[in-house]
Amino acid sequence: MRFAITMLCFIGIASVIGTILKQNELYENYIIKFGQFWFEFFEVMGLYNVYQAFWFLVILIFLIISTSFCVSRNSPKILKEYKKFQLNAREKSLSSFKHSYEFPVKKFDFVKLEKLLLDNKFRLKRQIKKDGSLILSAKKGDFQKLGYIFTHLAIIIISIGGLMDGNLVLKMQELTGTKQIIYEDLALNDIPETGKLKTSNFSYRAQMLLREGEKQSVAVLKVKEGYLIQDLPFSVGLSDFRIKHYSTGQPKSFESDLIVEDKASGQLVKKTINVNNPLTFNGITIYQSSFEDGGSELALDIWNLHSPEKASKMESVIFKKNELVFNEKKYFFEFNDFRKFNILDIESGNKKTPTNVGPSFIYKVRNESGQAHEYQTYQFPMRIDKSLYFVSGMRKTPQEEYQYLKLPADANGEIEGFMIFRTLLHSPQTLNDAIEKVVAQSFPEGGEKSQIYFEGVKRVMSEFVHGGYSQIASSIDPSISLEDQKRIANSYIKIIFLVGQELIDIYQSNNAEIDNFLFESNYKFVQEALTGFNDSFFYGLPIFLELKEYVHIQSSGLQLTKSPGQFWVYLGCILLVLGIFCMIYIQEVRLWVLKKKDKKNVLVALTTNRHRYEFDQFAVRISQQIRKILN
Amino acid sequence: MVFKQLFNYLFIFLMLMLPTVSLFKFHQYMDIYEMFILIGTGITFIVIGKNWQNFRYLVLIVLILSFFSIFLYEGNLFSGEKQFVLKYFLSSQSAIMWMCSLYPLSLLIYWLYLFKRHSFFGNFASQLTWIATAMGFIGLLVRWFESYLISIDVGHIPISNLYEVFVLFCLVTALLHLYYEEKMNRKELGAFVLIVISVAVGFILWYTFSKGADAIQPLVPALQSYWMKIHVPANFVGYGAFAIAAMISVAYLLVNKGILKSRLPSLIILDDLTYKAIAIGFIFFTIATILGAVWAAEAWGGYWSWDPKETWALIVWLNYAGWLHLRLVKGLRGPMLAWWSVTGLLITTFAFLGVNLFLSGLHSYGEL
Repeated sequence: MRFAITMLCFIGIASVIGTILKQNELYENYIIKFGQFWFEFFEVMGLYNVYQAFWFLVILIFLIISTSFCVSRNSPKILKEYKKFQLNAREKSLSSFKHSYEFPVKKFDFVKLEKLLLDNKFRLKRQIKKDGSLILSAKKGDFQKLGYIFTHLAIIIISIGGLMDGNLVLKMQELTGTKQIIYEDLALNDIPETGKLKTSNFSYRAQMLLREGEKQSVAVLKVKEGYLIQDLPFSVGLSDFRIKHYSTGQPKSFESDLIVEDKASGQLVKKTINVNNPLTFNGITIYQSSFEDGGSELALDIWNLHSPEKASKMESVIFKKNELVFNEKKYFFEFNDFRKFNILDIESGNKKTPTNVGPSFIYKVRNESGQAHEYQTYQFPMRIDKSLYFVSGMRKTPQEEYQYLKLPADANGEIEGFMIFRTLLHSPQTLNDAIEKVVAQSFPEGGEKSQIYFEGVKRVMSEFVHGGYSQIASSIDPSISLEDQKRIANSYIKIIFLVGQELIDIYQSNNAEIDNFLFESNYKFVQEALTGFNDSFFYGLPIFLELKEYVHIQSSGLQLTKSPGQFWVYLGCILLVLGIFCMIYIQEVRLWVLKKKDKKNVLVALTTNRHRYEFDQFAVRISQQIRKILN
Repeated sequence: MVFKQLFNYLFIFLMLMLPTVSLFKFHQYMDIYEMFILIGTGITFIVIGKNWQNFRYLVLIVLILSFFSIFLYEGNLFSGEKQFVLKYFLSSQSAIMWMCSLYPLSLLIYWLYLFKRHSFFGNFASQLTWIATAMGFIGLLVRWFESYLISIDVGHIPISNLYEVFVLFCLVTALLHLYYEEKMNRKELGAFVLIVISVAVGFILWYTFSKGADAIQPLVPALQSYWMKIHVPANFVGYGAFAIAAMISVAYLLVNKGILKSRLPSLIILDDLTYKAIAIGFIFFTIATILGAVWAAEAWGGYWSWDPKETWALIVWLNYAGWLHLRLVKGLRGPMLAWWSVTGLLITTFAFLGVNLFLSGLHSYGEL
């Protein structure tokens, strides 16, 4: 028993490790976390998949064996004791019990005594001994001991059930080489026989990713970093996948319309499954477990952030790559995901509430030297600090948080306005006109000073247009005092802002039919547009992709489970609960009444195997009752 | 006496009638399992009430006030901020706030009782605990109703996130405490048990005011199951009982050191109470974990996935199994077991809260 408890402790400790160390992650993540040496050490120890590690299974097996020994050794004893009434108890030993009472009786009325004991749920037996003395042995609560058998049997049954559903068989096959894990991405036809598991496979938990409209009859069993192919006795077709939403935009249900067809009999079953409603077919249960994009089609507008061209068009498909030549540089776009719904915490009133901000798409852009940035761009503008912005996040590694480029929406809620503004900044003629207007405000009478001022502003603007505020900052003489630097920088920012306002005013007066800038005041827009323009220099890409249209195609992630051990685990659980009830709430009590032939006194003795507070009270009470009856 | 008899019949009648009426009225919103749970709840209350008269009064008062609150709402969620009685007493938020203020108050009075030993304080503290518990249950029931006012499809039983289950934890712990207090006819232990409840109340307050956790959120798909109505309460009877056991063990350790010895129950009584609390907690925790496994088999595709919450449930289970084993089979007693039960609360707390805080997994419903 000590051995079994040690095993249980080991399982406890191993389990804790399994919760602290994230299981089944990509191996590269572990290498980053622990370094090469510890990574290998932990791998040998099987810590990345503790619960299926070899030593963990061995412990489980040992636990089963040792508990079985325990049960097989003790059960016969317990069953024997159930029948046995200790009628040969001696007076001496009885009177040595803690609860032993001796008192004189007037009339020894067996009928009454037995009735009292039976009423108290005792089972009893009596005997007249050779020396003429009478002994009555009673007991109750034998089920307490059965509780012992139940609980231990339960542990064995549960462990066996668990092992049945574990991957022990697969491990054996892997060790003997009959099955080999596949590590590269292969087409189904190229998979060798050693990488396939037959439909007769005893138990498994496999995955299947189905595109809408697609049909498959194999599933993928992930093992370590690789996989095996599990053949199924039926085919699974997905006619539709839906995500239903609450009015707040949070997902309400994930549903797949499945058509399952048995290969042998041709039996057809149609069912919609969702998270709490799996489909069981021929002993295999199909669960809704995940979803991802199934290759949505996107129509995009390509905006150059740093030169004044109009937008060009691009068509792309999720999981496909596009190549783009831009300003004589090559960019490689990898479109990785499309999300129709995005729930973000958006301010409404004073509180932030989760709101659906509409579709977004996620893509990586690699330049010629292979450097990649990841982007998430939202289709519709969203409200941040009371203004509407087109938002696109950029990050250099997946571990980082996104940094956001926010381009203000114009009076129509479109990106057009910002792009016109960007064009204006790049068009020398309009820029000159605007600068002149700003200069004229400070120097209404003109003159040489105004000419110098004009040249100065022009230089500042040109620097801003080609590199943002930081470019201007680098042009400020670093030898002057910090305060002066700040003062100069502030005045530059103010000038740029004034020029910006003039740019839009000039444009508006020349193009009365354009309604992108019909603001009450363009003050806020200019400020936000300048900030956006400046931030675009840190965007890592001179291109802004605007999503115009999309066709949403999804894939549903299914899990297929064959779990023959489940029945046994549940059976074990029922036994376990029964056993615990017996052990905790049933108290075994033994009681003897002994009357010697030639004595007037009667001896009443009680004992229990587990001494408890209530037992004392019970013992006193019942012995008093006996005394009363016999008097 | 006749009045009491009459009341008891009325109670049984109500516990059978209310679920039946609901079945007739709302059956289209329930599946077959939920109907069984509804009927089963009524029967469970009858059984508990049979053994515990005060429970009957509690159920009735909670029901009356909750229905009164629902009546005051007039089907409009904003009544909660306008209508006087709702705003200050019976909206779910106010009722829970009453609970949050009354538990710490009763803790204070339990300590007063411990030092002054005047029965007035003892009774007063008990009554406050009863009132706080009633307010808490009213809060949860009204919250249940409020969730349906937000939208029919948002409506759900309020045991779905960390905020709600913390309220549940306080209530279950308080009820168990009140039960033992009455059966033992001694009130000193409230001074200890109410500590753990007050700490939970502190958490609720912090969680409400700094994180706005009291907002009603719709259920994520994985939680949309009748299993939640069984699995979560069963688990919290376990947690609550383990918490009580730990606090009584603290009292045990103090008495063992001679502190407050003359004012607290004897070691034997404390030891026995700890055992009883752990026993009841263990049974409920076992059942809850098993039901959780059955639910997991339905929702996640496997009865056991070694998810951190599952694994820690196993560790908690092994811990108390070890405790019971040593006590029942080896007959061990004394401060060692008391220390063990105090440590058990730490492990339980980690399983209950720490897993959500530090580890990610399938059970990530209540993140901070």
